[in-house]
Amino acid sequence: MTHAKRIDREAGRAYWMMILPAFLIYLAVMAFPIVLSFILSISDYSGGKMFGENAEKWSLVGFAQYLRVVRDPWFWNALKNNLYIVGISVFGQLPLGFVFAYIIYRRLVKAPGFWQGVLYVPNIISIIVVGLLWQSIFSPNGPIAQVINDLARGEFQGKLAAIMDGVGHLDLSDGALSRILDLGGQAARDMFTDPVPELRDLLSSYGAEEGAMVVNDLTNLLVNRWTPEFLNVKEVAMLPILFVILWMYTGMYLILFLANMQKIDAQIIESARIDGANEMQVMRHIIIPALTGTIVNSAILAISGSLSSFALIFALTGGGPGRITEILSIYMYRSAMSGSRDYPLANAIALIMVVISILLIVLTKAIEKRWGGKEE
Amino acid sequence: MKTEANVRVRARGLLGSALAKAAAYLVMGTFTLMTVYPLFWLTMNSFKTTREFQVNMLGLPMDPTLENFRMAWEFGEFSKLFPNSFIYTIGTTALVIALSVLAGFAFAKIPRRVTKWIYGSFVVGILLTINTLMIPLFIEVTILGIYNTRLAVLLVYVGAGLPIGIYLSTEYIRGIPTALVESARIDGAGYFTIFRRIILPMAAPVATTLAILQICSTWNEFALINILVSKTELKSLPLGIFKFSSSLSTDYGKQFAALVIGMAPMLLFYVAFRKQITRGVAAGAVKG
Repeated sequence: MTHAKRIDREAGRAYWMMILPAFLIYLAVMAFPIVLSFILSISDYSGGKMFGENAEKWSLVGFAQYLRVVRDPWFWNALKNNLYIVGISVFGQLPLGFVFAYIIYRRLVKAPGFWQGVLYVPNIISIIVVGLLWQSIFSPNGPIAQVINDLARGEFQGKLAAIMDGVGHLDLSDGALSRILDLGGQAARDMFTDPVPELRDLLSSYGAEEGAMVVNDLTNLLVNRWTPEFLNVKEVAMLPILFVILWMYTGMYLILFLANMQKIDAQIIESARIDGANEMQVMRHIIIPALTGTIVNSAILAISGSLSSFALIFALTGGGPGRITEILSIYMYRSAMSGSRDYPLANAIALIMVVISILLIVLTKAIEKRWGGKEE
Repeated sequence: MKTEANVRVRARGLLGSALAKAAAYLVMGTFTLMTVYPLFWLTMNSFKTTREFQVNMLGLPMDPTLENFRMAWEFGEFSKLFPNSFIYTIGTTALVIALSVLAGFAFAKIPRRVTKWIYGSFVVGILLTINTLMIPLFIEVTILGIYNTRLAVLLVYVGAGLPIGIYLSTEYIRGIPTALVESARIDGAGYFTIFRRIILPMAAPVATTLAILQICSTWNEFALINILVSKTELKSLPLGIFKFSSSLSTDYGKQFAALVIGMAPMLLFYVAFRKQITRGVAAGAVKG
């Protein structure tokens, strides 16, 4: 054996010893599950022991699960919600993050570190904490509902006091009683079988000096309680989720844009200004071109982020009301983990998501070629 | 950033006007308030009893109490959750850094034709989000008989952290002059010696970036550990906090205290390492 060959063998051994631990774990955790999910998606395995003695019987049955997925309206609903998340990232977080970064970069505000530092805070907190926090804020017993109800109460009491102005609660006319009922709308009338006389009876049970208590109790009884029911309306149920996503991640895009703006050579901007370029021209011809790579990267980040998101919606709505706010990952989780343990279906969904990711990677490669290599 | 550069990039003309500045402060101020207020609101309410919260949601606590924290700590079994979170975070971070820098050195400085494929497969993994694989992973750990073990959690976390770890390490070590490695080779040093003597001491910056990224993501991770573990003895902080969602959704005091306990460690970490975290995020998000 020649000297060079021995050196090469030593290099080869070192190479494999260095990469194998990482590569084997990577294969076990990323590659193997993909293969497994493909096999399971065309099988009828649904839990229990897979191999060896006393194993459950299972066999390969073909591609029926994929047909089931594309025929399931809930799949399309979940996919649509994933697209909404991409949409709020690309058209919400990205431009907002850009504007914030630009304001900080051009020193329109003092203390750049402060704004950047604070706006990034939601990113650092556990998604579960964020989800549960906003769940209580949006809850029918939460502060939003309370503020709106307090306003409604105040208004109601004002109107009630105007009707009862100068007339004791024991001497109200039928007309006045009817107007009081009108304040509460149909819901108030539905509380009684014969509203006006019954309300008179009710009021006569209070003493003459208890006027203030009457106003208070009547308000409690008759005022329409507002609840954030928009959370239960199909068309808008995703809105609170999208808001929280915007709230949480905009700071990350701010950091990305700012870091890359700061890489722009300040002298280019300076000389453009000397040549008479105005602010808009600097923006259009220097800053935006320099950030094209970042913008593309951020958009890709938004799509992969949408595919990987799970915990926020899991904590915030659990996919509800009904299944309206499910995204693909929750749709998959529900198929496998609740009730029927539909592993074949869940694995078909997993593989569909993997295929979307791979398409995304191909797209990235194409974009990288188009923009000439990896831009930061 | 140097001060001189700041002066040059400072906006002038129309954009530099008082009006533009006022608008900038208004925009930044509004969003900053929207960011901070919910967190302040949460913290403030964790000191109220549930009874007080129900009648006083927006005001400061009239009779601040620590009772919520005591009850949340007990009910949530936080004394079990914290050690677990530390084990997972430190274990994952240490393993990801060690494996990434080692493999990154091999990819960057030991020329092999197969590198293109193996390294390429790691880079592809950056965009292949592991959360999409949670169900097959669950079935895999069940088949392997490691469901409900720390080993499964660590394996999955390390595997999930490797793509970005290896990408950043390889790119960084490629920047170290190859001449350093070659001259050591001529002196007869083996690759492991070179790694220990030359590469490792120079890899501190990339190791710091990896540590920051990994600590943030592991400490807060929920989706994967949720399917890997069901025993309280093995649960991490986010899993434990989730317990406060369904069973206690009307016991606000306790729930808020649990959320504050869950949020505090990362906030402290952020306050201590803000600059490094910001830099790490900017570096780590470049591709994935």
